[in-house]
Amino acid sequence: MSDFQELIKSFPKTREYVRDFFVYGFKTREEFSEKSPRTYDNERRRLESWLGEYVRKDHVSRGANISLAIDSNLLDTNPLFRVWKTKSFTDNDIVLHFLILDLLRDGDTLTAEEITEHLLTKYEAFFDTQIVRRKCNAYEKEGLLQKKKAGKTVVFSLDNSLADWIRSNDNMLDALAFYQMAACFGIVGNHLIQQFDHQNQSFRVKHGFWVHTLEDEILLALLQAMNEKCNVHLEIKSSKNGVMNFSECTPLQIFTSTRSGRRFLCGYVIKSRRFTCYRLDTVKTVRPLQPSAEYDALFSTLCRNQKWLWGVSFQGNGSRHPEKLTMKIQIREPAEQYIIDRLKREGRGGTVTKIEPGIYQYEIEVFDCNEMLPWLRTFTGRILSLTCTDQFVEHRFYRDLQAMYRMYQIEKTPASESIRTE
Amino acid sequence: MELFSEIYSCYYQVLRHLLCSQNALTQQDIRSRICGEGFEESLLSIIPKLEDGTWNLLEKDGNLFCSKISSSFLTPVSDLEKSYLKALLSDPRINLFLDREQTKALQSMLSAVSPLWSPGQFRYFDRFPDGDPYEDETYRNRFRTLLKAQKQNRYVDIDYTSPAGRRLHHHYIPARLEYSIKNDKFRLLALKPEHPSKVRQARSHRRIQAEAEPDRRTCETVCPNTRQQERYPAKFRLEILNLSRIQSVRPLEKTLSSPVDLNAMIRHSYYREPLRLRIVNKRNALERAMLHFANYEKNTTKIDEDTYECLIYYNSNMETELLIEVMSFGPMLTVTGNDRFLSLLKDRLQKQISLSP
Repeated sequence: MSDFQELIKSFPKTREYVRDFFVYGFKTREEFSEKSPRTYDNERRRLESWLGEYVRKDHVSRGANISLAIDSNLLDTNPLFRVWKTKSFTDNDIVLHFLILDLLRDGDTLTAEEITEHLLTKYEAFFDTQIVRRKCNAYEKEGLLQKKKAGKTVVFSLDNSLADWIRSNDNMLDALAFYQMAACFGIVGNHLIQQFDHQNQSFRVKHGFWVHTLEDEILLALLQAMNEKCNVHLEIKSSKNGVMNFSECTPLQIFTSTRSGRRFLCGYVIKSRRFTCYRLDTVKTVRPLQPSAEYDALFSTLCRNQKWLWGVSFQGNGSRHPEKLTMKIQIREPAEQYIIDRLKREGRGGTVTKIEPGIYQYEIEVFDCNEMLPWLRTFTGRILSLTCTDQFVEHRFYRDLQAMYRMYQIEKTPASESIRTE
Repeated sequence: MELFSEIYSCYYQVLRHLLCSQNALTQQDIRSRICGEGFEESLLSIIPKLEDGTWNLLEKDGNLFCSKISSSFLTPVSDLEKSYLKALLSDPRINLFLDREQTKALQSMLSAVSPLWSPGQFRYFDRFPDGDPYEDETYRNRFRTLLKAQKQNRYVDIDYTSPAGRRLHHHYIPARLEYSIKNDKFRLLALKPEHPSKVRQARSHRRIQAEAEPDRRTCETVCPNTRQQERYPAKFRLEILNLSRIQSVRPLEKTLSSPVDLNAMIRHSYYREPLRLRIVNKRNALERAMLHFANYEKNTTKIDEDTYECLIYYNSNMETELLIEVMSFGPMLTVTGNDRFLSLLKDRLQKQISLSP
């Protein structure tokens, strides 16, 4: 392990490991079959180094399980943000970072040659002008420095007014402390609060699904393509069988589930001429292609179709047309009025009608009623009937219910009969 | 614009703190700062580079190290960060924090910047539509009052209408403002001081109960009691208040002198017996369950080729939501414990079977 390095060059490989440790947390060394044991050891050691306080080891018969124990109720930040702070760099990178930014701090405007000269005289640091120029150009690209042409010479300067404003503004720092946990690209908010030595001690997030920060590089590439209305080439690894696939599509919108944190790209697939959603954690690479001439028209079509979308599926069991689902439920009024409130609040545009005292009907038309099953099951104990024009959905609902009765040995009793007639 | 860039790296942050130190540093100072702020093995990489002068950023003066750069060094805001800030300006919640002048100032500084995203590029398909009224000035003022009080550990006088319509009026210490992404609502995690007579009453009640039920520990497996009662014998009680239901909030003079360990309170509120789920990996149930319950503290072990056991730790506040989440998986998950949770689930199924024709 002499070649072990705590920092890494590229993110994708580590992304897979962190995700597996975080999401599953029961795979032993032998079960990580895709990579060599040596790679596993290095990745595990890095993970322990970055996230030591969250790493849990359990000894099982097949070896040691390593997992990440993260309870979102107890956290002031996303621990997995640390993974984004592990990029390796050269000795020149880190020295030039501090010296150039310190040199230009007072608002001086200097050429690369002048900067090189000052590094030597002020800091006793000798660098080749080409290296200094390259670093200044890279920092200009990142927005850390400004570059201007003064006649034939190129000069670099630094504008810290925004950084000064944020540093002296407690309200802004509070906002960043909140957004780093509660909105997309929280990692950028986290970089900012760290940059200004602020810590979140005021906010918590319920339903925080931290693992999805690992997809932010993919999300950034997709949003850049969406901002430029470009098509993209995607490399996708199936979550079921690990097979790699490719797709070319027009990226239109990011669909997000607040219940699982999962994010999907909704795109128009050029080849099949259909809308499709891809889970971001299955997308491995994004390559921008040419701009799409039909971008706005496709986006409008997507918006028109959204009223028939329950989640992310545009197609049910073989049908591309909306299917109708009807559920009747029984509640005790007025004590269980909150159930009706739930139906209205969570029913995504479905209609709720009172049929008779204590009995309500919920109706909706969506492309794929299969997607509704998890939500429908949450009303177990109150469902009088469920019908669907997609017979498969109806059968599956009742078949699963029967399976649950068997699993928990639930039988009809005279007492339960009386509940029905109440 | 790179998200994974060395300019945001942990080593750069550690170095910045060392270099911006007002005083000269001893070797021990440097080591302890690296250990405190870096990763576990960072010391091994950073120290040699500083000591042999490869990172020529410190000057040695006897046994002390002095920074070559100014202590007021400030890292400028990158294009990625500017673009992120610009996107936040389109979020309605930003006005909970910034007043009009501040919003205007930020807008002006970012006038030439494109936002990283726009709200229309995201669709939160299962978020509840009745989020908090972020545009309402009264709501904003309450939010700001609570945030200020929270930062000062200040008591507040809160008039609150409960979901059941009961009007409550109490003194609290705001512990945290909790945001629910699913509900798009803020809740206040509030510490409620308990009256000394109630503390005595509660203690005496527990003594009597312990004498009456000597084998209570066994009893708790059936009906698990919370650990909160043992550790925090009612000096403070943690309550959760919906911000939109707060009718008025008034800061008081009194402040809390010693901080309360909120995480210990939450941890001790968890049931002793976790929820036990058996997962058979069919229809991708394992991955779905692992991701779905990722926000809970959990521990998963493999039982055999296709079967896994997952333990989930929770408290009474989370119980109904967890029950609903478990039910949404249908027969893909089997609840094997604790008895309390199992009984809640069976009760729902018993009701359901009674409704079947």
